[in-house]
Amino acid sequence: MRNRIAHFLTASLITVSIFCVIVFAALGLYLNKKNSATINQVGTIYMASMNERISKHFETMTDLRLAQIRTLAETIPAAKRNDAAALKTWLTESAQARGFDSLSYYYEDGSMEVLYGGGGQFLDSEPFAASLKEGEDKVYVGRNPAGDLVVLMGVPFRMELPNGRICAALVGELPVSYISDTLSLEDEDSLVYSFVIRKDGSFVIRSFDAFRNSYFERVLAIYEELDGKEPEDYLAEIKAAIASGEDYSTIFRMYGDRRHLYCSSLPNSEWYLVTVMPYGVLNEAVEDMGVQSLAAAMCCCAAILLVLLAVFLKYFRMNREQMTELEEARREAEEASRSKSEFLSNMSHDIRTPMNAIVGMTAIASANINDSQQVQNCLKKITLSSKHLLGLINDVLDMSKIESGKMTLNTELISLREIMDSIVSIVQPQVKAKNQRFNVFIYDISSENVRGDSVRLNQIMLNLLSNAIKFTPEGGSIELALHEEKSPKGDDRVRIRIRVKDTGIGMSEEFRKHIFESFTREDSKRVHKIEGTGLGMAITKYIVDAMGGEITVASQQGKGTEFQVVLDLERAEEREEDMILPDWTMLVVDDDQQLCESTVASLKSIGIRAEWTLDGESAVKMVTQHHKIHNDYHVILLDWKLPGMDGVKTARELRRQLGDDVPILLMSAYDWSEIEEEARDAGISGFLAKPLFRSTLFYGLLPYTGGEEETEREKKPAADLSGRRLLVAEDNELNWEISRELLGSMGLELEWAENGQICLDMFQQSPSGYYDAILMDIRMPVMNGYEAADAIRALDRPDAGLPIVAMTADAFSEDIQRCLEHGMNAHVAKPVDIKELAAVLERYL
Amino acid sequence: MTLQDCYTALGGDYADVSARLRSDRLVRKFVLKFLEDKSCDLLRTSMAEKNYEEAFRAAHTIKGVCQNLSFTRLGESSSRLSDALRHGWTPEADGLAQQVEADYLVTAEAIRAYQEAEE
Repeated sequence: MRNRIAHFLTASLITVSIFCVIVFAALGLYLNKKNSATINQVGTIYMASMNERISKHFETMTDLRLAQIRTLAETIPAAKRNDAAALKTWLTESAQARGFDSLSYYYEDGSMEVLYGGGGQFLDSEPFAASLKEGEDKVYVGRNPAGDLVVLMGVPFRMELPNGRICAALVGELPVSYISDTLSLEDEDSLVYSFVIRKDGSFVIRSFDAFRNSYFERVLAIYEELDGKEPEDYLAEIKAAIASGEDYSTIFRMYGDRRHLYCSSLPNSEWYLVTVMPYGVLNEAVEDMGVQSLAAAMCCCAAILLVLLAVFLKYFRMNREQMTELEEARREAEEASRSKSEFLSNMSHDIRTPMNAIVGMTAIASANINDSQQVQNCLKKITLSSKHLLGLINDVLDMSKIESGKMTLNTELISLREIMDSIVSIVQPQVKAKNQRFNVFIYDISSENVRGDSVRLNQIMLNLLSNAIKFTPEGGSIELALHEEKSPKGDDRVRIRIRVKDTGIGMSEEFRKHIFESFTREDSKRVHKIEGTGLGMAITKYIVDAMGGEITVASQQGKGTEFQVVLDLERAEEREEDMILPDWTMLVVDDDQQLCESTVASLKSIGIRAEWTLDGESAVKMVTQHHKIHNDYHVILLDWKLPGMDGVKTARELRRQLGDDVPILLMSAYDWSEIEEEARDAGISGFLAKPLFRSTLFYGLLPYTGGEEETEREKKPAADLSGRRLLVAEDNELNWEISRELLGSMGLELEWAENGQICLDMFQQSPSGYYDAILMDIRMPVMNGYEAADAIRALDRPDAGLPIVAMTADAFSEDIQRCLEHGMNAHVAKPVDIKELAAVLERYL
Repeated sequence: MTLQDCYTALGGDYADVSARLRSDRLVRKFVLKFLEDKSCDLLRTSMAEKNYEEAFRAAHTIKGVCQNLSFTRLGESSSRLSDALRHGWTPEADGLAQQVEADYLVTAEAIRAYQEAEE
């Protein structure tokens, strides 16, 4: 392809170049031709005027000479007329005085008598005889006895001579040179030279280098072919012009030189004047100009070609780049499609594995339908496989949503404590199953509530954790840490740093670079046994990016992996709940110093002074010291897993020293149900689930402050809602009654609307601010919940923006999304959970 | 026959409902009230009339009621039916409607038995 384009470009470049050269050359040549045509025209005009001048000159001269002879004849004195001798003498003297070489009588019979001089004879007496009859004065050419050409001037003059003969004319003779000198035909300096010829081509005046007798011979001998015209053609043209007595002009070549020829007839004679102008100098100038214009044209051509070449080169380069880009894109597309098909084959393998299990287990179960133990076992395995399959499918769906750009983020109130608690509870069984050590830390939590997408935040942490669990062998350890720090994006935001660290198999440097790409899994034997889609990290990365955060990974093969996610989330306004506990002194025992310090700081913020230590032994020492000076700690927080003496042992020891008075709480990120009995035996009063948020500590410690305060607090949220009036849109009476019963117990006043239309009407007819909120079922006859919400939001009332909470048995995220799109504030799933509903209402009321 | 026995008979989750409604009095009241609920009749007639939109809503309502009352068995079949009817009639809808009908009868039977035992 690339070659074809290169070939095409080269070929077209060459074609265009050749075309340019030809066009410019033709232009140059054309101009040249035009030039020489113009020069010819100028030459013709010049030569015509030159010939005319010479003709005029010739006419004047011949007129003068002819007049002289006529005067001579007419002025013969009468006395001398009859005396032959006297007449001859007088005529001779007079003619000599006027410079004639000879003078002759011309008799009627055509004979001539010479009066003096050589006496030239007519070369051809016929024309003279003819003009004699007409009575015309003319000049003719003749030859003297020496054989030289002479000019004869005949003037008809009838006179009876003394000897009795009748003289028809007087003929005077002049040398040819006289005419040529007078006409300056042989001026060396002149650009032009001329001949005088007779009608038959023979020369009268031969100037320049002419030596032949006839000009016609000269034409045939020295004219060269020019523009396809042969010397014969010229000759024919000249002859024709002479015969018709017209002027004739042409260009010819002689001795390789272009010359201009101009012929015109001479007056007072039968002669022709032939003038020739060699172009020589003129030609040089013209040719010079021609060359110059051609050169200029070629220069233009070269310039244009250069520009063209530059454009071509540029285009070629651009084309090349484009091709390279295209190639790159194609390669990427191929790569993507390859990894997709690889993914597909992996996927089908991954899907087939649980499917096989499901099919196989179903078969086994059917075969052993009466063995309930066996069936139960099979069902358990089927459930596990189904769950796994569902996970795979969810991942693929998520990824396709991401790839088509359909994933959106919600902004809602997130309680970090709730998220951490739920994650810990999800992860615990998995960690336990693989017998791994699991620890959760939180540090410097300044804002427990933030705004963001809790589902996606959960997904990020779960993905990281499930990977950590997956790729960490039994007995390894996994750590989840959450920090808060000042966000560089402003005071209304807080930077959250999530760290997930494991001591697993780690990954290769090569793989680390591709970990966030879709459909990649480390392709080595180590991970082949571990199922997964290879989408988890790509999804995680995408979510983190969409949240404007950053995810990094550090890993060493065989040592473990550490992921860090940094997110800047909006702080949610902290509920002004004064979480203050009595002025206690507490001891915190944990092997992680940072956790101790952070916990002590959290405790300080709820009004408790606390001390900390890193192991059970020193804790026992500190407690003993305090006990001795009767200044016991009010509460002791013990970590379960401690180096050396563990939490339970330490508690046993402390109880031995302190008795039963002081509450000792065990904190743990694990499910403590298994050790609960043992712990209680050892004297543990209660448990605190890690991570220890401020609120975790507050609510965890609250029971030890004395009963009254606790009950007061339990009641408090319900009291907040009493007296509020709710409109409940619900088509089913039974459901309505249940809602009324449950919500009524919270002190809420409720009114019932049987469908969306009634709900809308009731709201419209109520005074402004009468209802505090609307609970909206979605599937109702007449008008459904979406339409009702739209209609209410469209009303022109100050309270048209009141909180509307959707209640529906559908909990698909699309349905929830649709509720929000229709202007509802929140969604609760049926069956209505009183606590959840109360929390939602509290948020909006 | 106790409420718990009744729940066992109709395939429900007594622990769940009593945790949510918090008193046996309320549970008893609403369970008895279930017999008066017309949703199942509506479902039956709309299915017969091939009014699948109405049938969907009826199934959906039954599902909602069952969730509120923790009638797990009927809740599940009505949920499947409402899914099948969500976008109009589907081939499995008729079978599922029969299942709902059957489950409803079992449920209603159990409640009646409880009612009689109480009297």
